[in-house]
Amino acid sequence: MRAMYLANYFIAGCIASSFLGWVASLHPHAFRAVLCLLAAIAIGWGLSWLLDFSLSKLLNISVADLQALLIGSLAMLLIGLGVFLCT
Amino acid sequence: MYLKLFVLSASSVVLWLAPLVVLEKTLDIHKALQGVSLTAAIACAVSAGNIARELSEQEEIEEIKTRAITADVVDEIATSAYISQQQRQHEAEQILNPREHLERSLALTYGEDEESEPIAQKQLAEPVAEPDQNAESERAERALQLKAKGWGKAKIILEIWGVTKGGSPKYKAAEAEYKRLCDSLKRESRQLVRT
Repeated sequence: MRAMYLANYFIAGCIASSFLGWVASLHPHAFRAVLCLLAAIAIGWGLSWLLDFSLSKLLNISVADLQALLIGSLAMLLIGLGVFLCT
Repeated sequence: MYLKLFVLSASSVVLWLAPLVVLEKTLDIHKALQGVSLTAAIACAVSAGNIARELSEQEEIEEIKTRAITADVVDEIATSAYISQQQRQHEAEQILNPREHLERSLALTYGEDEESEPIAQKQLAEPVAEPDQNAESERAERALQLKAKGWGKAKIILEIWGVTKGGSPKYKAAEAEYKRLCDSLKRESRQLVRT
């Protein structure tokens, strides 16, 4: 059941990424805004990898859990945007 | 609950993929439908995730309960086995030690002549105090040894006094004696440290 709830949240993240792509396709301004958001997410993601030990202490989770979370979020983003762009 | 979970999960995937594949992105109405569908898909996925999380937490609690019950039963069985072993050992010692039987029967005979021989009774009562003290010191030593080995209070009481943990007066008396012995030992050790 734990795998089920993790899978559901993963799918929710993928759909949210597709939704972001859909918002970007509405208007050129929206596209720029989404690009800025993606750039901010990328910077935050990279910083999280660099500061993983201090961040794990701050969030009270293990480093392995934090790294799994970061990899999962990247996979969600890629799958969601990939599904939107390829369809 | 499980059916709801599976329906929500399946519908979230369908609402995510179907409009993106089937509908045209250039048409405004199709685009709007895609947006609505994606929003609904997110809602379905999050609801399904919440339900699954609740179920998983309930399962974990049930598992913990089962483990606790199993551990309790195992502990109970081990304690009863230990007690029966002690009883058997005690019985065997009684059988193998006829001198004790003889002493007991002699004590009973003296008890019957209580009125006729009060002096003899007094004489008998005096040396009884010494064995009591000896037994107490032996108990204290044994308790100290077991405590040094890292045994718990309940286990020590069971070992020395042969009383299982509970609210019985025997256990309370044994517990009080154990505390008294511990306190006296602590006091002695403090005095030794001071000197």
